[in-house]
Amino acid sequence: MKIVVCIKQVPETNDVTIDPVTHNLDRRGLAGVMNPFDKNAIELALNLKDSRDDVQVALLTMGPDDYAESLREGLAMGADEGYLLSDRAFAGADTLATGYVLAQALKKIGDADLILFGRQAVDADTGQVGPIVAEFLQQPQITYAASLRLSGDNEVTAERLLEDTKQTLVAQLPAVISVRSELNTPRYPTPRNIQLSFAKPLTTWHHDDLDLDDTRLGQAGSPTIVTKVYAPEPVKRELTKLAGTPAEAASQLITALKGRQLI
Amino acid sequence: MPSPTSAAEKLLLQMVDDYTEREISPEDMPMDAAGDFPAGFIQKLTDTGFLGLMLPQEFGGAGFGPEVTAAALNHIARGNASTAVTLEGHFKTIDQILKFGTPALQQELLPSANDRIFAFSMTEASGGSNPMGIGSTATREGDHWVLNGDKIMITNGGLAQVYCVLVKTAPHELSVFVVDQDMPGFSFGKREDFIGLRGTPVGEIVMDHIIVDNDHLLGKVGDGGRIGDSAHDDARILMGAVLTGIMEHDLKIATDYAKERKAGDQPLTALQVTHRKVADIAMRKETTKLLFEKAAQLKANGQPYSEEAAMAKAYGSRVAVAAGDDTLQILAGYGYSREYPVEHLIRDARAMEIAEGTVEKMRSAIATAEFNK
Ligand SMILES: Cc1cc2nc3c(=O)[nH]c(=O)nc-3n(C[C@H](O)[C@H](O)[C@H](O)COP(=O)(O)OP(=O)(O)OC[C@H]3O[C@@H](n4cnc5c(N)ncnc54)[C@H](O)[C@@H]3O)c2cc1C
Ligand SMILES: Cc1cc2nc3c(=O)[nH]c(=O)nc-3n(C[C@H](O)[C@H](O)[C@H](O)COP(=O)(O)OP(=O)(O)OC[C@H]3O[C@@H](n4cnc5c(N)ncnc54)[C@H](O)[C@@H]3O)c2cc1C
Repeated sequence: MKIVVCIKQVPETNDVTIDPVTHNLDRRGLAGVMNPFDKNAIELALNLKDSRDDVQVALLTMGPDDYAESLREGLAMGADEGYLLSDRAFAGADTLATGYVLAQALKKIGDADLILFGRQAVDADTGQVGPIVAEFLQQPQITYAASLRLSGDNEVTAERLLEDTKQTLVAQLPAVISVRSELNTPRYPTPRNIQLSFAKPLTTWHHDDLDLDDTRLGQAGSPTIVTKVYAPEPVKRELTKLAGTPAEAASQLITALKGRQLI
Repeated sequence: MPSPTSAAEKLLLQMVDDYTEREISPEDMPMDAAGDFPAGFIQKLTDTGFLGLMLPQEFGGAGFGPEVTAAALNHIARGNASTAVTLEGHFKTIDQILKFGTPALQQELLPSANDRIFAFSMTEASGGSNPMGIGSTATREGDHWVLNGDKIMITNGGLAQVYCVLVKTAPHELSVFVVDQDMPGFSFGKREDFIGLRGTPVGEIVMDHIIVDNDHLLGKVGDGGRIGDSAHDDARILMGAVLTGIMEHDLKIATDYAKERKAGDQPLTALQVTHRKVADIAMRKETTKLLFEKAAQLKANGQPYSEEAAMAKAYGSRVAVAAGDDTLQILAGYGYSREYPVEHLIRDARAMEIAEGTVEKMRSAIATAEFNK
């Protein structure tokens, strides 16, 4: 069984700023770490690998060369091989253009029984890339999986955890799954596996290594137009401090609420 | 200056920071209060592969070198010094088996160092600073040795499963043997109720007629003094790293607090008296860091490092106590309270003015090295 986990590298901090000209996330100068939810996806793949003899786990990412660091971390957790899709032509991609290149690479890797995603990337937060890839590959998808098991030779059962409901879904393999952090606790890479990960295969594919329609790539292939990104102004509220004994404070509160005709 | 870190070393330290933040730091205060590691703590550390961090890959370890090993303990000690000292005791012991053990002994013991803790035992009631004062003996009987004696104040004593023991093979001859807790005649004695590093067990081991083969002799008969000194050297680099971590912890507490706390209508950061203390803590921390990194670098390059290692610990332990004292003073009443970690950081640092050779003994060693130049 072959599992491909798609991972993204995100800025380490939560204070990402927005480029005033392009309205894109300004990622310059920020140290990158693996998107936390993607570690849950890797852990799921490794759990399956631990429980069966025939599981091969590959990692796939599209991004600049330093995304190899996250691939290496995933290899140190226990994945078998990594693929980096890196080319100037891919830069500026939105979720659609990202999903397109990932799907083309997945076709080239071939025969994946399960393609795993994190529920969303913590920097742009759309959660769209997994579903887009599923559409490109014409495969069933289960998003927001909080538990998952192989329920037959060619079938997977997952519980989707949504805001106010749970759903249990069964999908035929090959399938695309995006996972929630409730699914598991990702393992730490051990010091030894960190060393050994540097002997594992890590393949970089550039533009010419993939079968691509150039009009679908990068900024040009991205229909998303970000017109404005802003942090809402915090609403300033009036604060009245009630002094005195608890009984005095309570009667002041009642007077104030009555004054506003709230009670 | 330290060598540039490789990608693997970077990834290791990133993992160590992550592990420290999530698994170790939250246990710092509870460990001091309980005087022990919490249940499952050492098992998790073991399962995550920490015990094999510096063990060569041929024995199933990760094979990281002296510099990044020291850096890893430094990072761990920022969260909790006891955890770092437990690993220090294990690593310095592995180092001696690597330096002095025969290939057969290494093959027999070292693969198990990935999941069993090792310890080095010299001190006895009758001899700490003076190794010739010990009473433990090894007597040759045919092709075996018979070991008898009582070792106290052993880091990881009771937790470790494999012990290097310093014994007398003749009235003025010291040798080191390796014994296993499973050997008949081996037992554990009292655990110390120490005032600092309270997570690290420090205890007694008793050898009552333990029979070991000649191949459990480390080095040659009479090498005991040399091996003991070498164990001290390796331990002192790592303790310099731990002390640096303690001072980094102090510095974080002191600066965070000074930014928040008001003196009148100004924060403490506006006061010169605070500048003086914070600058002193920072300079002590940085100096100790340079010393342990220099010693680790010399070791990595195969150059002598004994004097620099002694400096890192002799200097670092004194200034780490002073750094804790300054931090306590910045926090004042809160610093004196057990609700804050500062007071235990002082007690933790204080241990390293004694363990692995007292500061007095180290100063003698440093001065002797200078006289001999
Ligand atoms: C407001 C806004 C600003 C943006 N600014 C920028 C910007 O400054 N620079 C920029 O490059 N892009 C920017 N984008 C585009 C966006 O970051 C990319 O499309 C991104 O690659 C995927 O979108 P996401 O982060 O929402 O991923 P999600 O769809 O939330 O990610 C879900 C999962 O998909 C997988 N995944 C996502 N991305 C990749 C990848 N690259 N490789 C492999 N697997 C992946 C992971 O498993 C991840 O957990 C912006 C988008 C928006 C909406
Ligand atoms: C936390 C901790 C962990 C320890 N772990 C270990 C361990 O893993 N293995 C182990 O074998 N031991 C260990 N010890 C014991 C430690 O090594 C001894 O306590 C130390 O060597 C001092 O010996 P002592 O306590 O007998 O003091 P003594 O040797 O009796 O010293 C008393 C005082 O006299 C001074 N003094 C003695 N001789 C000299 C001299 N020649 N020159 C100058 N001053 C001198 C000392 O500096 C000290 O101030 C540990 C101790 C502690 C606190």
